[in-house]
Amino acid sequence: MGVVVTHSNEEVVQHSRLVFLAVKPHLVSTVLNGISKHVTPQHILVSIAAGVTLETLEQLLPSRSCVIRMMPNLPCMLQEGAVLLACGAAASQEVGSMLKNLLSPCGLVEVGPEAWIDAHTGLSGSGVAFAFVFAEALADGAVKMGMPSSLAHRIAAQTILGAGLLLRDTGKHPAQLRAEVCTPGGTTAYGLHALEKGGIRAATVDAVEAATERARELGRR
Amino acid sequence: MSVGFIGAGQLAHALVKGFTAAGVIAAHRVTASSPDTDLPTVTGLRKMGVNFTTSNKETTHKSDVLFLAVKPHIIPFVLDEIGPDIEDRHLIVSCAAGVTISSIEKLMASVGFCTEVEEDLIDAVTGLSGSGPAYAFTALDALADGGVKMGLPRRLAVRLGAQALLGAAKMLLDSEQHPGQLKDNVCSPGGATIHALHFLESGGFRSLLINAVEASCIRTRELQFLADQEKISPAAIKKTTLDKVMQQPGVSDTSVGTKSRVNLFNNMSGIKKP
Repeated sequence: MGVVVTHSNEEVVQHSRLVFLAVKPHLVSTVLNGISKHVTPQHILVSIAAGVTLETLEQLLPSRSCVIRMMPNLPCMLQEGAVLLACGAAASQEVGSMLKNLLSPCGLVEVGPEAWIDAHTGLSGSGVAFAFVFAEALADGAVKMGMPSSLAHRIAAQTILGAGLLLRDTGKHPAQLRAEVCTPGGTTAYGLHALEKGGIRAATVDAVEAATERARELGRR
Repeated sequence: MSVGFIGAGQLAHALVKGFTAAGVIAAHRVTASSPDTDLPTVTGLRKMGVNFTTSNKETTHKSDVLFLAVKPHIIPFVLDEIGPDIEDRHLIVSCAAGVTISSIEKLMASVGFCTEVEEDLIDAVTGLSGSGPAYAFTALDALADGGVKMGLPRRLAVRLGAQALLGAAKMLLDSEQHPGQLKDNVCSPGGATIHALHFLESGGFRSLLINAVEASCIRTRELQFLADQEKISPAAIKKTTLDKVMQQPGVSDTSVGTKSRVNLFNNMSGIKKP
């Protein structure tokens, strides 16, 4: 892709103003200890390391270093990701906005307090997997009702994609959209009743909660 | 090479059976010791031609490779007892920690799949494949019940169930495909299998299995923790059975961990760790 590749972390820091830390969490302190003396107040450091707090990052770098934490999710690879940015003490609103614009090709990019990063992980990081489970179950339902598996899977994927686009692009509340699909006494009303009986809402809240709690726990270690 | 087992219970018995069946070692080169001579596994080991003794020291002297096949909380006392007899030639394998080394791997490989994991994953391995056969036996018992309910004779139902699980496991191990895909492959549209799977899902089948693995793993950690805490004097231990341990001064029900602190039932929505 034309990127200059080097074995030297110091070289990357010396030649760049905006530096992304894209190493596994357990390597962060070693890496930062190595580059710390080359970091100036003009640098912007963006960490993608899960569970590594702004406080940890700031402690490993010279004081008043500009640090930002970024939490992406899997669909970023298709430019349909959901990214949350949290700015450190020395990162101004201006820098946050600049980064938000820079990353906009990833999909949805928002700025928020660090406290929301774990919830974002639970919602959108893990949320992608929850959607995969739902898709598999939708397809299984169709197979039970007589549709061949591979067709059922393709349609399930498209259904979720379509629903997602309607949610995003109409700006309507999901309950509103749901009402619009529910003709009185119709198939959807019956199907939704079965979903509600199965406690899908509580299960989903539990799922986001469990994933968020785990993110918090990992961040404490 | 001679092999010894400190402990002559299920684990020792299973391993010796495997080693000898695979022809990797002859039974007369195996020594096993246990203070309890009444165990059925002791009889089984003797029948296989293993040299049995009540002396752990004797087993240690006679063995190059020494398996510690006792319950985790007994390990420290055993090591205390045989410690002075351990020499450079000895290779000690603690089955409680499951650490394998390359000269042992071949031996272990003769009884099945052998791999090396980080020590902190041993508890998860216990939860999954240590306890796993029990989950499968329970499932097979219930599957057979289902067969009997629908008219099959019991013995046939058991065999069919066992063969079905055996075949499925073999297919999965031999395949590159995800188990979800293999499931789809056997579920014809509107067919019997997908109807049946729906029942399994309704009953929370998947989460029950996850809960089981988690409970076993957590309990294993608890037991190891308790074993590490134990302050009983080794000289006071005459037998390695739990009730004898409990008779020792200073040992209470809670310190030996007979009441599980694993509590999975207080919240429908998740597992609360102890």
